[in-house]
Amino acid sequence: MIDLVGTVELNEITAAESGRRYGHLRLRVDHLPEVQPGQFAMLKACGAIEPLLRRAMAYYKVAATTDATRIEFIYQIIGRGTEALARLTPRDKVECLGPLGVAFDLGVAANREVVLVAGGAGSPALYLLAAALVEREIPTRLFLGGASRGDLCGLSDFRDLLGSNRVVTATMDGSEGWPGFVTAPLEDHLATTSGTPLIYACGPDPMLHRVARIAAERKVPAQLSLEAPMACGFGICVGCAVPVRADCQEGFVYQKVCTDGPVFWSHDLAW
Amino acid sequence: MSNQTIEEKSPTDLLAIEIAGIRFPNPIWTASGTCGYGLDMAELIDLDRLGAICTKGLSARPLRGNPPWRIVETHGGMLNAIGLQNIGARAFINEKLPLLRRYQARVIPNVFGYTIDEYIEAIRILEDGEGIAGYELNISCPNVKAGGESFANDPRQAAEVTAAVRRVSTRPVIVKLSPNVTSIAASALAVEAAGADALSLINTAIGMAVDVNTRRPRLANVTGGLSGPAIKPIAVRCVFQAARAVRIPIIGIGGIATIIDALEFIIAGASAVQVGTANFYDPTASMKIIDGLADYCRQHGLRSIGELVGTIRLDQ
Repeated sequence: MIDLVGTVELNEITAAESGRRYGHLRLRVDHLPEVQPGQFAMLKACGAIEPLLRRAMAYYKVAATTDATRIEFIYQIIGRGTEALARLTPRDKVECLGPLGVAFDLGVAANREVVLVAGGAGSPALYLLAAALVEREIPTRLFLGGASRGDLCGLSDFRDLLGSNRVVTATMDGSEGWPGFVTAPLEDHLATTSGTPLIYACGPDPMLHRVARIAAERKVPAQLSLEAPMACGFGICVGCAVPVRADCQEGFVYQKVCTDGPVFWSHDLAW
Repeated sequence: MSNQTIEEKSPTDLLAIEIAGIRFPNPIWTASGTCGYGLDMAELIDLDRLGAICTKGLSARPLRGNPPWRIVETHGGMLNAIGLQNIGARAFINEKLPLLRRYQARVIPNVFGYTIDEYIEAIRILEDGEGIAGYELNISCPNVKAGGESFANDPRQAAEVTAAVRRVSTRPVIVKLSPNVTSIAASALAVEAAGADALSLINTAIGMAVDVNTRRPRLANVTGGLSGPAIKPIAVRCVFQAARAVRIPIIGIGGIATIIDALEFIIAGASAVQVGTANFYDPTASMKIIDGLADYCRQHGLRSIGELVGTIRLDQ
């Protein structure tokens, strides 16, 4: 991990039909260590006093050219920290600590069909993963859900990457794809597919709980990328605790989402 | 070399200090609970340049900590209720200390217990460790054998635990005081009389935040400790009052993020300061402060940072 300063090239704010707002931030940085799919950065406007803490955000895209490295993030605007990020304009400076956390385990995907499941602002965390799977020629399908069409973050990028017929959408208002939760078409697919697929998922907690239950019922291994309030992102505040099964009297210990995760095997979590 | 001009003095000459018989390369330390066991910071800052590292609070046995949510950001600060999750004193000396002591930063384990016996047990384990400069006692824990009120809340209990640890420790004992008391001077005097070698203050101020949609506390523990720039004026006042009450050295803590913050504490009476919550959002804050302190000494004609301690002017 390194703490570097990025320069804003683009910060596009969009509003979904559901009323939720998202920012698409692109930073130019001089240098960045290699980012693994699923890793994240801690971001904050340079010199800002309020809010105090940086915000954790998964890398959406990383592209290195000979002159510069560009990194992109998509974030939902939900509080003081993300409101402050939404006010950034081109040439503003951003403090960016990363890459942080344990990435998705790609080794286990070989010779399997991969199923990606994303909800709302969780999908950006899966884009680098999807790209790595495509590169390895691993058959990959994405189930992407949101409240409305505008909440399907990165939809056109995922369609370009995977092919439209491999991206299944679901919206709560029925404005795009299946009406309702994304876990419905996921279950439908798992019921008909042959072999043992592998699930990678990122999204709101209720969605991840449902995915974990479906995975357990169907004995499908699943890696989940979690979100938790964190002050530092590199293991020292111990704020982002998540209960993980352990061989002790209570049956679990608290691990840190930032350095033990954010990616965990579904069957290890003691939610 | 007494004939050296101030401009020629190295940062080490200008910033070295002695507290409780221990020499520190400079007065900038990292605060307990905000730098893990020190090693977690090694990728981001040069641990050879820090004055000291106060470790995450250690107990005789490992503790699992509180359920989430454990932290919440507030204006100018944050509330935490981590629940003192730690690997235990034995694992610290076996797994962390051998790596940590390779650095120049002095190692100061922060120690706590829920009974006086638990403090003694933790200290006895740590006495086996080599390369420890001294101990910092967190006395803000509930004393489960005396009604569950914090040791720090009652000067007599604060003195009792200080004296008990002083008897078993061969190393200097720094007692970390809580601001959640009626008189910080009374707390300071009580632990000084009980044998404390130095004081560090302040620990977090107890606070609370409410989710207005669910009407639930935003921390699973209901209340938590407030830290960050929001508590700095309270901390400066406490250091000022404690410094006037006792003779032993004081280490200032509370919202220190910049060189100005550190200087305020030193002028108010602190011989050293600890950088805490700033480590979370500006991991190199301590390094920037060390650089700034040497420059300040040169600009203000100080031969040593020690000349600045407690020099606050109260004349009209």
